[in-house]
Amino acid sequence: MAAHTTYDRPVAPARAPAGARRRRRRPTAWIFAGPAAALFALFFAYPLGASLLQSFTTEDAGATHWVGLDQYRRMIHDPAFLESLFNTGIILAVQVPVMIGLALVLAVLLNQSWLRFRGTWRAVYFLPAVTTLVAYAVVFQVLLKTDGGLVNQILGAIGIGQVDWLNSPTWARVSLIASLTWRWTGYNAVILLAGLQSIGKEQYEAAAIDGATTLSTYTRVILPQLRPVVLFCVITSTIGTLQLFDENYVLTRGGPDDATLTPVVYLYKVGFQQLDFGYAAAIAWVVVALIAAISALQYVAFGRERRR
Amino acid sequence: MSTRPTRRVVLATGLATAASSLVSGCAMGGAGGKDARDIGGRKDDEGGKVSGKITVWSWDVAAKAMKRFARTFEKRHPGTTVDVVDIGYDNAYDKITVGLRGGSGLADVLTVEGSHMPRYIGNFPSGFYDLTSLGGRYGGDFDRAAWRTVTGKDGAVFALPWDIGPCALYYRTDHFRAAGVDPKSLLTWDDYVDVGVRIKKATGRKLLIMDSTDAGILPMLLQQQGQSYFKGGRVAVDTPEAVKALTLMKTLHDKGLVDYEKGWDGLVTGTKEGKATTTPTAAWWTGTLSDEMPELRGRFGVVPLPGFTADGIRTSNIGGSTLCVPGQSKNPRLAWAFIQFLLTGKANQVSMLKREGLFPAYLPALDDPYLSAEQEYFGGQAALDVFARLARNIPPVENNKDDAKATDIMISAVTGVMLRGKDPRSALNSAARQLATATGRERVK
Repeated sequence: MAAHTTYDRPVAPARAPAGARRRRRRPTAWIFAGPAAALFALFFAYPLGASLLQSFTTEDAGATHWVGLDQYRRMIHDPAFLESLFNTGIILAVQVPVMIGLALVLAVLLNQSWLRFRGTWRAVYFLPAVTTLVAYAVVFQVLLKTDGGLVNQILGAIGIGQVDWLNSPTWARVSLIASLTWRWTGYNAVILLAGLQSIGKEQYEAAAIDGATTLSTYTRVILPQLRPVVLFCVITSTIGTLQLFDENYVLTRGGPDDATLTPVVYLYKVGFQQLDFGYAAAIAWVVVALIAAISALQYVAFGRERRR
Repeated sequence: MSTRPTRRVVLATGLATAASSLVSGCAMGGAGGKDARDIGGRKDDEGGKVSGKITVWSWDVAAKAMKRFARTFEKRHPGTTVDVVDIGYDNAYDKITVGLRGGSGLADVLTVEGSHMPRYIGNFPSGFYDLTSLGGRYGGDFDRAAWRTVTGKDGAVFALPWDIGPCALYYRTDHFRAAGVDPKSLLTWDDYVDVGVRIKKATGRKLLIMDSTDAGILPMLLQQQGQSYFKGGRVAVDTPEAVKALTLMKTLHDKGLVDYEKGWDGLVTGTKEGKATTTPTAAWWTGTLSDEMPELRGRFGVVPLPGFTADGIRTSNIGGSTLCVPGQSKNPRLAWAFIQFLLTGKANQVSMLKREGLFPAYLPALDDPYLSAEQEYFGGQAALDVFARLARNIPPVENNKDDAKATDIMISAVTGVMLRGKDPRSALNSAARQLATATGRERVK
């Protein structure tokens, strides 16, 4: 397909001996790729390697010492770090499935031809994802204030007592999960909607001719085809959860009593407040390893059926 | 609230710092050597000629005060330029940390709060100019507790104290009157709890505002008893004093006397709305009261903090800042001259108290008649005088490079006790164990 390109020369057909041609140096290519490659090496590859090295060191009064795996061992016994993983686990188990489920329902609704102002609705649901953090945090703090917050006022009006949303460890978790869902459901719905729209009308028609109900059309015909898109949403949401920083840092500072602490907020505290850079680097690498491992697991679990 | 670091920024700066630190190898902190350099001026620098330009980092009213005095300084020393930059509080410490770590990019004079200074001196011992030979002689003029925050091991001086925050108890005169309680009768914390219960019954108001995501009044209660989180380099978070302090906090919570609000804004709004009837805090709160709630003029009074015993220490310290010269400064002599001009004179200090509400750590300034004058906002009470008297009794406590670690662990301990009903003694015990592991320090026995 690339043979149609008019610039330079056509790419060699696949059957040609690949090695010979590809090995020839092309200065033009390097002129274009060079700056990007240099930037990549300087700002990505090098810091990555450096932070890995740093995770094996500790500092005392400005002097650096090699400590091997000590920082990683320390994590196993660090209650705050373990709590941050536990919190992440809860969000992964509760928030991500609820959000993807809601996003699917939303996507299906937004895809209906009878829906008026579809463009407006899509924009409305996508909007939270592009809201600035400050506005988002202020709005949620105002909504969830214990005294006089809108949510508590409504609860009071229907005869339910006040809930200490942000000051009770349990309710702070609920608040965080709710705010994450508010912020990211529409975003995932728009991605799922794009997936839905790539499925042709004829599929619905064929299902209708075969006498399928609307429900079974979706569960048996449409959703199975959406599997890769859902997988994408699940994996990006999982990565987002493991890297969670903004929402819980602004809303609750990871508190109360570490109930909303996440590994990245903990990393920030350890590195930038406690100035314990080696340990922070080690935490960063454990987060990276976790993201890689969980994404791989999900890929295997969700992707399996497709290969059959 | 304005510019919190986003996740990406934090990670990017984290990686960038990691990178630059390895570039600079073991010589971190920017001064290039193992120990801090001396500025090397004559001891009596008054006659020395300074020239050139310096940049000063500060924020909020402190920046305002310095901008005002920078002009005077420039006039007195022709050929000098002092550029004061308000870097904002929210990112100040990230910027300072990154600059110290990377060894470049800092201003010539930095504002650092007293409570943060030991952590920087401990972690970046070569990151600052050693001011001992120039500033050491002022030691006796400054508040002892504040002086301790600017001195490192072997008594080396790394900064001059600027302002301090002597603590007392602010109370609502109208609430106390409504409940028929005399604030002068508040001698001990036990009295405080009793009074809280009575006022709550009479007015429905709670006693004080705390934030559920920090350690609240714990550091204040500890300092009042003469200790911090460490004693002689050892972990001291489970001492009898600490148990007493946290038990008091639990009692306040259990009796329903604590109103929880988020952060600084929550404290200000809650106070304005009269949610709590007292505020145990520092002298600088007077400025916040008169600026943020002028409509409550005449409703506040100030008494010394309750003590743990009737004859115990009745004050403590919250906040306060210092000025230092980072090792990477290109013009340390001018930087020092500006610090000396700003902080070692009575007139300038009193002027900053009047105009910007910065309560001087410089003791000679406390004798100024301005401090004993009656204040209209406090219904004619000489509120500053209460603080000026208390300021000389602030117990100096130990701070070190692991303060931030201790704070994080203590926040968990405090919130665990107050919000999840844990037992203070066992919570502090486990906090001590954690802190000992995290810092490699022994525990006080």
